[in-house]
Amino acid sequence: MTTRATRSPRRRTVVALAVVLVVLVAFVVRLVDIQIVNASQHVADAFSKGMQKTSELEGARGSIVDTNGKPLATSMLRYNVAIDPMLAAKGMSLRDENGAVVKNDAGEAETVTWPEIAARIADVTGQDVDDVRAIVDDAYAKDPKNRYQVVKRLVSTAEFRKLADLQIPFLSFEPVASRSYPDGAVGGNIIGFVGSDGQPLEGVEKLQDSCLEPTSGSIKYQLGANGVTIPGTAVEKPAVDGGTLKLTIDSDLQWYMQQLIAEETQRYQANWGGILVMEVATGKIRALAETDTVDPNDPGASDSADRGSRLLRFSFEPGSTFKPVTAATAIEQAGVTPETTVTVPDRMVFDNGAVVNDSENHATQNLTLNGGLVTSSNVAMSQFGAMVDPQTRYDYLKKFGAGQQDGLGWSGEPERILNPADTWDNQTKYATTFGQAFTVTAVQVANAYQTFANGGVRMPASLVESCTKPDGHVVTPKLAKPERVIKEETAKEVSLMLENVFAQGTLADDVALPGYRMGGKTGTAQISDGHGGYKKNLYFTSLVGFAPAEDPKYVVLTVFDEPKKQRMSSANRSVFKKAMAQVLTHYRVMPSGSETPLLPVTG
Amino acid sequence: MSASALATTAIETAPDEVLLGSAAPSLRPVGRSGVGIAPQPRRRPRRAFGVIAVVGALAIAGVQMGLSIVTTQGAFEVKDLTSQQRDANYQKQILEDEVAGLSSPQYLAANASALGLVAGGEPSYIRLSDGKTLGPTKGASDTSSVQALSRAAVSNALVAGVPLVTDPEASLDSGASLDKELLANTPTPPSITDGLPTPDTH
Repeated sequence: MTTRATRSPRRRTVVALAVVLVVLVAFVVRLVDIQIVNASQHVADAFSKGMQKTSELEGARGSIVDTNGKPLATSMLRYNVAIDPMLAAKGMSLRDENGAVVKNDAGEAETVTWPEIAARIADVTGQDVDDVRAIVDDAYAKDPKNRYQVVKRLVSTAEFRKLADLQIPFLSFEPVASRSYPDGAVGGNIIGFVGSDGQPLEGVEKLQDSCLEPTSGSIKYQLGANGVTIPGTAVEKPAVDGGTLKLTIDSDLQWYMQQLIAEETQRYQANWGGILVMEVATGKIRALAETDTVDPNDPGASDSADRGSRLLRFSFEPGSTFKPVTAATAIEQAGVTPETTVTVPDRMVFDNGAVVNDSENHATQNLTLNGGLVTSSNVAMSQFGAMVDPQTRYDYLKKFGAGQQDGLGWSGEPERILNPADTWDNQTKYATTFGQAFTVTAVQVANAYQTFANGGVRMPASLVESCTKPDGHVVTPKLAKPERVIKEETAKEVSLMLENVFAQGTLADDVALPGYRMGGKTGTAQISDGHGGYKKNLYFTSLVGFAPAEDPKYVVLTVFDEPKKQRMSSANRSVFKKAMAQVLTHYRVMPSGSETPLLPVTG
Repeated sequence: MSASALATTAIETAPDEVLLGSAAPSLRPVGRSGVGIAPQPRRRPRRAFGVIAVVGALAIAGVQMGLSIVTTQGAFEVKDLTSQQRDANYQKQILEDEVAGLSSPQYLAANASALGLVAGGEPSYIRLSDGKTLGPTKGASDTSSVQALSRAAVSNALVAGVPLVTDPEASLDSGASLDKELLANTPTPPSITDGLPTPDTH
């Protein structure tokens, strides 16, 4: 039985429930509206009222370390100091040790005037007091409403803290990521540097920026009273630091070579000089020294021409250092042996009309292939080279790097020339046998000798060992594959002849290191005068060798541009000897305990 | 909730009448026109429920307040520690700046040079098995293969002008202040033409 009496209370319940539901739904709708639909609007509102803050988190640029992990470039902070001239002009209240305002007898706050403050600032920054005063005075005179003027850029942390301790309310400090190079100019030619704005400008700083570059993060939080972060409001997207770049360079060895080449370049009055040390088994460059080298801490102190690597951006006609390539070609393609002889006058006119001279006058003699290298005879090498057709010789030169990229991928790599064999004129057909009419870089010369010393297998030259990402992931650079350039027996024969160059050549006494067997070759390359001819009596001299010859470990190349005290490659003897002695000492390479087997020079 | 609870009360009061209603614990039909409501004393609500509810609410509020105080306190502590950490970082940076460059090879070599040490030339080795000297058998000369101090060529702005530890008068830029006479009078090591003297032991 349903009566009004029974229906009424039930209806009331239903109505009450309905009202509750409506209110609930209204709340839910509003909640969704606030939290989801218009969330960004409200966040923006909060920002505009200064209740919420976002700070950028800067990651640190990665370090550059040498092959032993010794830091060569690290990140640090410097600070830009700025002032508010409008407030500064008014001075500030004098405060006692506890920070309370000091009042005079009349009960007024004592003020410290701007000149007094300027003197305190100048005392810390080392600037002239009047200069500091002028910063604010000038800015204030120009625009009384100016609120920002830089006092000094890039001050050290120590200065920054001292300035902060002065408790000057209108000084502000902005941290600037900066770079420090603990070893100064050691390896500066390779490391490069970054600009004052943090942009990498030279060297591996620039080339390997993708490894070193940090990724910025951010942090969002809400502030309560007293600047305290309200718990639970911080949302952080962490910054990722840059990776650690490991070079193949050994900084101690690098220092020695830089010091050595600087002394020797001055001694022989060369335009500039360089030393390159390459590991035979790996092709890794352990030192690459040259004059002059920039100090990355202060690149502005160097001439703009000295701020990068010359050695990696210079190509030249190698001259006699590429005669062993001719020897290797003749051995493999014409069946000659180190004992094969040719008749060698000091000047020879070939059938096609080309004329080849030796650098010194001598009587006509029967030189072996070994003798051709030992006496560095252009006439002899021209004859041995002519036993092989130009296209085959072209292929060999190319395999040894002539006219090719050196694989380091350095910026501003020089143009390298190796014209196709069918364009070689009569003279070029012979000039190419003694290292002329094509160009290489210093790295390629070292790489060619690395190939001879390594049983005919060229290892790709490299300057970068690896990049270790902050998560520990190690990335090694992609290098060319090791390449067999000549047969192992050929490499052995050429190496033995190169040993004989050191044992029997004119340089023997000057470069010998007691107890060690070494092989190598000099080169006195002519320099283009820019008008199709060669400079008179000025040369690009080189001396390249490997040791210990019975089991070669290191190739050392030394070069001078236009030495004037001794104009030929004899200028390179003392620097080569010292450099090689240091390499062998540094790496604790034992003396040979055997003698170089001597090959006949004449036959 | 309250409706059904009160409904139960109604049923208890008047089991013979099926009546529901919050304000009508006991209803008597008053004619056909409607329902009459007779005032009757309310039943006392059970006190325990109320006490539990109030205490519970207070407890929740208290705990919440306590947590809030603790976290806020934590926030202040965090702020304090953060500022300590910042100071420590500044200290670290200052110290790092101070020692930067002191470990560089050119500074070490200049220090060694100021002590009169020379960079050697060709290395010699003694083979332990037979005591034979490999490499040069004459004593090394006292001239350094490089002049790390007097002709220091590898610059380092970080230690420019920083006095050497071993010769406070000199720095990397200034060259040596070393007494050359002292060096000249330093005896050279004995010759080792026949190898280093080795004791005869059996």
